Formats: sequence, C-alpha cells, structure tokens
Amino acid sequence: MRLLLVEDDPMIGEAIRAGLKREGFTVDWVHDAAAAAQVLRTDPFELLLLDLGLPKADGLTLLKSLRERGTALPVLIITARDAVADRVAGLDAGADDYLIKPFDLDELAARIRALLRRKSGRSAAGLEHLGVRLEPATHRVTRDGVEVALSPREFALLELLLERPGTILSRAQIEGRLYGWGEEVESNAVEVHIHGLRRKLGAQFILTVRGVGYRVRPAP
Amino acid sequence: MSSLRARLLAWLLGGVLFVGAAGGLMVYRNALAQADAFFDYHLRQTALLLRDQPVEYQLGAQLVPADDDFVVQVWSLDGVRVYLSRPHAALPPTVTLGFATVTTREGRWRVFGVQAVSSVIQVAQPMSVREQRAAELALQTLKPFALLLPVLLLLIWVAVGQALEPLRRLTALLKARQVDSLEPISGAPLPDEVQPLVSALNDLLARLRDSFERERAFMADAAHELRTPLTALHLQAGMLARAGDEAERAAAMSTLSTGVQRAIRLVEQLLALARQQPRVDRPRVPVRLDELGREVVAELVPQADARRIDLGVAAAQPVSVEADPEALRTLLRNLVDNAVRYAPAGGRVDVTVEAAPDSGAATGATRARLRVSDDGPGIAPAERARVFDRFYRRAGTEPPGSGLGLAIVKAIADAHGAGITLGEGAGGRGLTVTVSFPPASSGSSPPSAGTHRGSPSS
Repeated sequence: MRLLLVEDDPMIGEAIRAGLKREGFTVDWVHDAAAAAQVLRTDPFELLLLDLGLPKADGLTLLKSLRERGTALPVLIITARDAVADRVAGLDAGADDYLIKPFDLDELAARIRALLRRKSGRSAAGLEHLGVRLEPATHRVTRDGVEVALSPREFALLELLLERPGTILSRAQIEGRLYGWGEEVESNAVEVHIHGLRRKLGAQFILTVRGVGYRVRPAP
Repeated sequence: MSSLRARLLAWLLGGVLFVGAAGGLMVYRNALAQADAFFDYHLRQTALLLRDQPVEYQLGAQLVPADDDFVVQVWSLDGVRVYLSRPHAALPPTVTLGFATVTTREGRWRVFGVQAVSSVIQVAQPMSVREQRAAELALQTLKPFALLLPVLLLLIWVAVGQALEPLRRLTALLKARQVDSLEPISGAPLPDEVQPLVSALNDLLARLRDSFERERAFMADAAHELRTPLTALHLQAGMLARAGDEAERAAAMSTLSTGVQRAIRLVEQLLALARQQPRVDRPRVPVRLDELGREVVAELVPQADARRIDLGVAAAQPVSVEADPEALRTLLRNLVDNAVRYAPAGGRVDVTVEAAPDSGAATGATRARLRVSDDGPGIAPAERARVFDRFYRRAGTEPPGSGLGLAIVKAIADAHGAGITLGEGAGGRGLTVTVSFPPASSGSSPPSAGTHRGSPSS
C-alpha cells in the first residue's frame, strides 16, 4: 500500500515513514503542498497523510483543490490544530479522518487501514477469497485455517490482488502501487513475488493474463 | 487614621469645637469688660451720691440696699473708720481716692474712694460678682450654639457620607467584578476628584489586559509549538519499542535523543523569550561589545568545528554599550548559533564589532554596531520581516529550529532600543544581521586600557 505523507517537520516525517514501513506500508514523503500536488498527479497513492501547518501553502488549501478536481483519494489529516472549529473545517474541506498530534503510531496505522477498508467498500477488517484469509492489522495470512508465512512484499501484493478479486493488475500498476521512490525494483521482482505466492497458496490461486497482468482466480 | 470619613469628621469636629471655645472666650472677655465699665460706673455713682447727701453715719444704718453686694466704708479725716456697711467685710484699712483693685482675704475687690467735706467715703464690690456676671453672659451666648451642636454633627456626618458616596459606589463596582474582568471602569458620572483615580485605574487595567493577552497568546503558541517536538518524541519512542534488533534499537535511540535535545532546546528558548519579554527594568551596565563578541565566538567554536566552519571575529573596535549583559550575550549567542547552523559545511561566519559615526546626530557621536554574517543560503527579502515572528520557521530548515531564536534577538534588541537589519553577506551571498545600538549619551569609546570586565577569553 503506497501512501503519500505531507509533513514539514523532518523528525515527525521520518518517524512516521519508518513506523508505517514496519506496518507494511510504503510511504513517500514530501515537505510541502506544492510538491504534494505535483506527485499526486503522477503517482498512484492509496491514501494521503496531510499535515495542515505547512510552509508556503496551507494543507487545507491543497485538500480543497484536490477535492475540486474530483479526486476521491482518502485523506487523513494529521495536525496539531485541535480546536473543534479546525477539525470541522478539516473534515468539511474533504478529509476522511482527522488525527491530532501527538498520536500513537498504532492508532495512525489502524486509522489508515480503516480508511483503506472503507475505500474498497468492505466492512470486515479481513479479506477472504477461496479459503485464503488476509488480516491487514496483524499481517497474518491463512489458507484453509493454516497460517502461511509471507514476506512483506508478498503480503502487500496479495492484499492488492484481493482488494477486488478478479480485477486484472498490470505489472506496472503493481510496481507503482508497491514501491516508493528510491526503492530498487528488479526487473523481475513482481514475477518473483507472484511465484512465491503461487508456491504458498497454490498454483491456481493467481492467474496470469498473458500480455496484460495478474488476477486472483474468481470464485466459482 | 486611614478612614476618610473618620478623618474628615475629626477635623470638622475639632474645628467646630475650637471655634466654639474661642468664641466663648471672646464673649466672656467682652462681657467682662462691659461688666467692668458698668459696675465701675455704679461704684462711682454710689460714692458720689453718698458724698453729696451728707448723712449721719450710724453703725448698722442702711445706706445702700442690703441685697446689693456693695460695701460702704466711711473714714473720718483723721483716719478713724466711722462707718462700715457690713462688719465682716475685710477691706484693706487703707484709703485710696479714685478706683483701685485690692486683694483681700475674701478675694479681689474693686474700690472707689472719694473725699467728702469731713470724711472719706469708700464704696467697694467683690470682683467675683463681675466675673460671675460675665460668665453667665458668655454661657447664655454659647447655649444655643451648644444645643445646635448635635444637629451640626449630624449634618457633617451626612455631608461627609454624601461626599464619599461616589467612592463607595466605585468600591461596590470593583467588588462586583469578575476576577478576570479587565474591562475599563465606566458608569455613573464621577466627581472631578475621583475621575483622575478612575482614569489611572482604567489605564492600568488596559495595560494589564494587553499584557494578559500577550501572555495568553504566548502560552497558546508555546503549547502548540511544544506539540511538534513532543509528537516526534512520541513517535520515536514508539519506534524504539518496536525495534527488532540491536542495530535498529541503536538507530532509534539516536533519533530519540536528537528529538529530546530538540525539545529541550525549544523549552530553553521559550524560557529565554519569557524572561526577555517584559523585562525592561533590569540594571544596565556598560558592556564591552568587542569582548562579548570574542567570548561568544570562543564558546561556539566547538560547534563550528563540528561542521568545519571558519568562525571568527573579523574586526573588533573597543566599543561599549549600556546593556543587560546576560541579555546581550543571549542575543549574540543566538545570532552566531544561527549563522553556524545555516552556513554550509566548510563555510565561514564572521562577527564584527564597530563604532560607526552616527549620521543623524551631532558630530562625534557614534553608534555601536554588531554584525554577524555567514555564507549560508540567506533569507529572501520578502521573508525578512517575518523571520522575527515567534515560531516562524522557514521551509525546509534542517535541523528544525525552535522558531524562537530571532524572536528572542528582536525582543532583546527592542528592550535596548537597538535596531536590527538583515542583509546579504559578503559578495551578495548568505546573511548579515546588523544590530545597531542607539548612540551613547556620553563618549561611547572607553579608554582602551580601562577594562571593567574580565580579560577577553580568546
């Protein structure tokens, strides 16, 4: 899951980035609203973590312009502005959630998962398909009730594929949504992870659509 | 006596009683003089009457009415007393003609003597009669006054109460206030004597309100600003708890300690600013700027070394300013510290102290000037006015500062009446901060030998 973090404070930004990485998220981090607006146009992100007190342009301005363009991207505001009026303004400007500094990393991760769940139209915390169950909060995957050990990348890839079972994802799409900036992507990385998943979950669980991409086997 | 009412009453009462007593005394003296004249006339008339109507003097004969307090004595020419109207009266056995006042066993007497054909007639009267008469007169005059005294007191009481009523009202108004209400006092028209007091109070209230407002804003700002480093700390502590292996733990510990140092620095800067803000009343002593510059540079050399920055004093003329030495040290430290932070690694930071001729004032006057310049990124002219705001942080500053350094510098400069200007560094690069002190009233250049601080630490 690739997230965009907009935060001007280097220490907070670094801590969030490192903390969320441990939770299995890929976090790209920019320091101001202008840079955020630019990368949001080019890169696929699942969610935006937005600080309000940014230098130059304010975070709320960025949020409003995003919503005016009709972007449905989930936005979680993280800010020190705790007045009710600020929270109302933030949510009314189009934020999906509002978290006040200082906050706990666990809570941040949980809220991110909740927003992603809602985005994909699910209410249950876990994803389940053909006996394979994935728990984003605990990073556990079971196959017919038996726990399967996955690498973080494999887990993220499986989560992506299970989000809308049957949807075909191209290799470029998968790469774009799994890898942040500056991460070395081997040319056959996606194939390697797909191979790993097939080995652990059964060869027929993930199907290849030649020349297009990958999808999980649809339910019969 | 701290009560206005009691004081007013005491003065008014004392005054009334004094005037009453003085009036009584004057009436008494007047009455006495009148009685003297009246009774003297009577004495004389009686004596002359006795002389002009010769009578046979017999002992016990009634020459004057018995209820009168006159005593008549008749002497023969050869000095024998032939008549005394009241035997017990102890009149002096001497004879004087005309008026005389004599002292006898029975008090003082007034005597009038006149010579008849064959005798000397003396008529006498005790002085006490006159005094009694005068006292009666005086008392009679004073009696209505004494009777009216309680009425007067009551009137004074009421009048004083009336006059003090606005004060009472003001007190009630102030008492009824909320603790935190600093609104100006307004309301009923006040007497001219109380108005200045209320104006002064309102003035004080206004200043208090401003100062409270500043404090409140500062507190809110400070609390808000503390959140950022605390959030970083909280997150870093969380990372430390999640660290999987020794290397991760060491890295987390290191970032956590950087975060703690940053929080400590912010708190220190907040304290420095809080101490600086309203304190204009600290004692001013002459401070040698050149020595201060050398000391601060010496203090910060280790920091500069860590970043391979060439920190030094470019020029230092012996100049002193009237200042709070600790505040001035904080000012210079903050400026040099900033310069060292923002100069590129391997860069250069110069501190300059000079006495510049004052262009505006009389010839010979000089302004002490303190300059700190670096060859860092500088500050864009558009941003220069804002960098003195509290908690203003420039975009992308690394490591994050407290946003207070220049606000503190500004507060200290303001307290000393000094101006700050920001400009480019040497060759149009970097930043030069110039602090210009107001021209010293007396000679600003001390004799180079006479140092009143310790020797330079360089």
